[in-house]
Amino acid sequence: MTAANVLKSPAVPAATTRRMPPGIRLAWLHLRSRRVPAAVLALAVCGGVLHVALHWHWAFNSGPYAQQVPMIIEAGAASVIAVTAHSPFGETERVTGRWLPYLRLLAAIGLTGLAILALQLGAAGESLNDGIFALARNVIGFTGLGLACSLVTGGLLAWTLPMGYMVFCQYALLEAWTAPWTWPVRPPADRGAWICASAVFAAGLLLFTIRGPRTRLSDDS
Amino acid sequence: MSATSMPLPRSARALRLEFKRNAVPYVLPLLAAVFYFDTLRTADGFAPVWTLRASAITDHMLFEFGAFAGGLAAWAGSREGRRKTIDLVASTSRAAWARRSIALTGTLCWLLLAFLAGVAALYIQTAVQATWGGPPLWPVLVGAAGVTVVTVIGFTCGVLFRGRFTAPLVAIGVLVLDQTGLRQALGVRASSGTYALLSPANSPPVVDTGAYYHVAPDLWIVQVMFLGGIAVALFGVLGLAPELRQLASARGLASARAALARSGGWLLRAVAVILVACGVAASWTAFALAGTAKADPVGGWEIPALHAAASDQPVPVTQDCTSSSGFPVCVNPAFSFYLHDLAAALDPVATQIAGLPGAPAGAKEVASVSGGQDVQSGTAANPPVFEFTAEHVGSMLGQFNGIPDPAGWTQGFQQGLLDAFLTGRPPHPGPVPIQLGPAQQAVEDALLTAVGSQPLNPAVNSAGVSAAARRFAALPASARHAWLATHLTALRAGTITLAQLP
Repeated sequence: MTAANVLKSPAVPAATTRRMPPGIRLAWLHLRSRRVPAAVLALAVCGGVLHVALHWHWAFNSGPYAQQVPMIIEAGAASVIAVTAHSPFGETERVTGRWLPYLRLLAAIGLTGLAILALQLGAAGESLNDGIFALARNVIGFTGLGLACSLVTGGLLAWTLPMGYMVFCQYALLEAWTAPWTWPVRPPADRGAWICASAVFAAGLLLFTIRGPRTRLSDDS
Repeated sequence: MSATSMPLPRSARALRLEFKRNAVPYVLPLLAAVFYFDTLRTADGFAPVWTLRASAITDHMLFEFGAFAGGLAAWAGSREGRRKTIDLVASTSRAAWARRSIALTGTLCWLLLAFLAGVAALYIQTAVQATWGGPPLWPVLVGAAGVTVVTVIGFTCGVLFRGRFTAPLVAIGVLVLDQTGLRQALGVRASSGTYALLSPANSPPVVDTGAYYHVAPDLWIVQVMFLGGIAVALFGVLGLAPELRQLASARGLASARAALARSGGWLLRAVAVILVACGVAASWTAFALAGTAKADPVGGWEIPALHAAASDQPVPVTQDCTSSSGFPVCVNPAFSFYLHDLAAALDPVATQIAGLPGAPAGAKEVASVSGGQDVQSGTAANPPVFEFTAEHVGSMLGQFNGIPDPAGWTQGFQQGLLDAFLTGRPPHPGPVPIQLGPAQQAVEDALLTAVGSQPLNPAVNSAGVSAAARRFAALPASARHAWLATHLTALRAGTITLAQLP
């Protein structure tokens, strides 16, 4: 424990702050406890890296190699979303927070939308191989994996599964795999890939909403 | 504790605790699955030649280990911040650097252990299949240096930036860096600066690399020096981490001076600064050396300051030969596993042209690269022998890099032999040779048909060529042989037209 925060006096006395409606305040506190503002910044960084990678031709322009760097960044954005699953309050919040599932659902959907937006803005004006539809599909699929992983590993290590799957997909990309469950390597119009990615997202989101991430107040690893 | 057990030193006990509570073992199953697909299966697709298979260590293993090493090291590095125990452990007698070194060592040991287990799996798989040579150690050293530097980068980021997003961001940062290095290394030219050679990831080498000439270790030495230098410098930065954090939060010169005065002993700070200086010097030297690299005549890179003339010498090997089918065929012992398939492929075609002027009396594999250029197959004179390389046979590429299609593989060699015979072209360095003339193509297609093979690309032949080939193939073997004996010189000179073919 650090006493630094206790010793600091608040910048503005509590009585003088503007009161927010309870629902908005609850949502805001939920988002803050999950470090969502920092996550938005991290997603913006991902968009920036994508822009720089495309602009300075860090990636190849065509062929299977062209999808490699965008796929890494898509998995990175999804990992950031998965990491926001971690709650600092653990079981206490779970037993008292009746709105928690709804807040989790809204936060995850909102962040996924923001991730797609941030990456699309990053790719704006540059030549993104396979376009925005493949990008959106990959982000939602990776995010579903990350949310599902948070049920097992807890939020803070939920980035491992999307990252591992992405590394496998780099192999599948170069080997030209065509199975729909390797959705990141399929063309944007591939219906099977969309179905798989959406199913993974839906399953991950549903489990995450209902059960929440694994809770460990004091992570022991 | 039992009476007979020896108490461990304090640092060893701390390290044992670190091994027990480290997060890396939990991720090992995932890492093993990715390793199986990305590295082991990719390497299995390569010919079982040691140098070629070992390239998977730096091209594939480092990629997958980099993602997890960076992320998990950042996770370990941010532990004190994550658990909010910074103030608590700050009052312990040990320096923060020593405490963090134990966490770093534990993480690094797990990752290196996993890495070496992966290398062992790869090398055992290769040892079972390879017919010549031994495991190269330099790619392992480069890979280990790569894992080490990524781990130290991740750990340092975790110490300096303790947020929950540090681990995934470090992981993707490392992967983007790896891919960017690969992109640059694939396009590197001696004429445009060779700094991209510092990237361990590169394209697989030529299939017979190391089979005819020793592979100069110059580039590997520079890569280890570069990566090791970064790791040492960052380890020094870890020693200065408390000062850096306080300096970042200090406002004004007086506060900065006070922060420096408060933190750690001067000896530790001096050691940390020396480590940073040494690491930067090593990396800078490696960077400068990489800039002097130039392509060597056998397809690799040499760095004059590090180059040993002994590594330019040919590898003293005796070729493996077979003449069981009457047509002697010799290959480098590294490719002995192809020898009998190759003899079986070439023999029927050799029988068709036996006794004709310039017909090869045997076939022999030679080095793929000479004088910095790819060697193309052809018929050497005195004695006439069909010489081919592991990379180039006729217009085919990479014939010794696996047999994905056995029929196509056989026909590739047959076509290469006939290309060389019908053009009279000797083996030569340079680009892939131009296609045959129409009459030469028709004769080649007819001879391939006569031995039961299909021409590789009949679709590109004109109707005239196909008709002439069918006509010539319909002749009795003795008639074809007699016509070729009479008209071979004119056919090679390109003065025979399709209409003149019987």
